[in-house]
Amino acid sequence: MSAFTIDEVKKTFTNGEIEEEILKGVNLTLKEGEITALVGPSGSGKSTILTIAAGLQSASGGEIIFEGKDMTKMSQEEIRHIRATDFGFVFQSSHLVPFLTVEEQLQLMLDVSETKTSKKEQSKAIEEILKLVDMEHRKDAYPSSLSGGERQRVAIARAIIHRPKILFADEPTASLDTKRSKDVMELLQELTRTLHLTTLMVTHDEEMLPYADRIITMRDGYIVE
Amino acid sequence: MKIAWKEMKKSKAKFLILGSIIFLVSFLTFIISGLANGLSQDNAALIKDLPAGQFYLDEDANQTYNLSKIDEDVQKKTLADNPDATAFSIQMGFVNDAEDKQHSVAFVTSTDSDLFQNVREGEIILDRTLEDEGIKVGDVLTNNQFSGEFVVKGFVDQQKYSHAPVAFIQMKNYQEIYRVMEMQAIFIPGKDAPTISGVESFSNKEFLNAIPSYSAEQMSLNMIVWFLVIISGMLFAIFFYMMNVQKIGLYGILKAIGMKTLSLFRMIWYQMIVITVVALALSIALSQGFSIVAPEGMPFHLTLDTVFMLSGVFLVVGFIGATISGFQIKKIEPLQAIQQGEM
Ligand SMILES: Nc1ncnc2c1ncn2[C@@H]1O[C@H](COP(=O)(O)OP(=O)(O)OP(=O)(O)O)[C@@H](O)[C@H]1O
Ligand SMILES: [Mg+2]
Repeated sequence: MSAFTIDEVKKTFTNGEIEEEILKGVNLTLKEGEITALVGPSGSGKSTILTIAAGLQSASGGEIIFEGKDMTKMSQEEIRHIRATDFGFVFQSSHLVPFLTVEEQLQLMLDVSETKTSKKEQSKAIEEILKLVDMEHRKDAYPSSLSGGERQRVAIARAIIHRPKILFADEPTASLDTKRSKDVMELLQELTRTLHLTTLMVTHDEEMLPYADRIITMRDGYIVE
Repeated sequence: MKIAWKEMKKSKAKFLILGSIIFLVSFLTFIISGLANGLSQDNAALIKDLPAGQFYLDEDANQTYNLSKIDEDVQKKTLADNPDATAFSIQMGFVNDAEDKQHSVAFVTSTDSDLFQNVREGEIILDRTLEDEGIKVGDVLTNNQFSGEFVVKGFVDQQKYSHAPVAFIQMKNYQEIYRVMEMQAIFIPGKDAPTISGVESFSNKEFLNAIPSYSAEQMSLNMIVWFLVIISGMLFAIFFYMMNVQKIGLYGILKAIGMKTLSLFRMIWYQMIVITVVALALSIALSQGFSIVAPEGMPFHLTLDTVFMLSGVFLVVGFIGATISGFQIKKIEPLQAIQQGEM
């Protein structure tokens, strides 16, 4: 079953006079319950295809089919709504809100996604997710008092608290040491399976590949395998 | 709007600084407008407290009440046609008390009317400020142009003209002091303004502005008040602009995870309203306190009407300032913020 299909997606950047085609027709189908890892040399367009798929920038051509609808034809507001409700994001740095506690970060995401469950259910969900990422003992802490690994785990919790269908992760372990990276990857693997997520992850780190169900290599704006 | 409140709690110092500046500016605004109003009362309470209506001056008077002499026939006819109308005159002068001390006053006389104090010949009714200068009911006052004496009949509140206390005297006495038979002006209360030949008509406001120094005084003070209001709006715009620049990354992330731009605006509005309301509440309390402790001679008169009107203006101006600064949020691309964070 395919929840997400990228079809012949192209991206051209114009730098003054020079037009540069960064993506030259990318085809990719993501599968539910699987982690798809995107690897390849620096500058090959991994982040670009990930952010286009995630609705964070527009494509120059091609189609992105999510639940039967072409996202490239949607309005900004429709795409925002999908980002808020159906997508989760983890980036290289955790990008937490500096003035919210761990618990409040998650509450904010529930508010943004307009999750309509009762307050009680919401705090229960927050508690469960924090347990899942092993951060429930720090639920009242502010990001500044957390370690890099802890922050990244909170970022992952924020990315999944609203039960998204697709999880986008761009080098989620890049700021962590090997031990922490492996913890985070194990967590992503477990979450993808138990919550039936569809996960697209960009990584540079060979050691993280065993956690992926599928490995896709990019080179010069193409998928080579 | 928990997120907005949380941010204020976390960055207390920043918001306290903005809040104190807004407080100081609004406090200063209230004080100055209290002074403007106080001076205007001091200068023209006699005229300001009249109901809305029409004033008439002699056509040849060059819009100056001092030079105006209403033709007696015109006056007779106008007063007969308009039962509420009254003819009156004002001249600056002075009275001497029993110890021969001089007190400046504005002598006012009028035809029979409810709008001005009516006194009999040889009697005088004074503004209350003269009571503070030691004059009592029953005292005898003199004037060097006047053959008789004035017996103080009583005092009235808030009757000032051209920064001098008003002294109401009878028409005959007035005519003797100033050696004129004609009255200076006619006032007809009410909305309709009958056209009367030989005289020029003025609204209350126009007549006030015809008082020398009145408009100059009010204009400069009101200009300061409006400058302060505009400055406070700019403070909001600049403050939130700088805050927003620091938070571009944060706004980008919030947009990336799907927050509406409108929610980000709400955040700024909420913060602006909290700051303004707290600052204004303090200013209102303090400026009301100030009107109690203001030094005796200081013409300070701040009504709650003025305070609430100005507070409303502050809120509107703050809202506009904060909103203008928010336009840059609209332009923020989520992606740009994410990449900036990684650099
Ligand atoms: N906004 C942009 N304007 C112009 N060129 C861009 C822009 N964004 C990306 N590029 C270019 O597109 C190419 C691919 O960038 P991308 O970030 O997708 O690479 P990547 O595979 O993620 O690399 P890395 O592994 O280093 O993160 C690069 O050559 C980059 O310079
Ligand atoms: Mg990249």
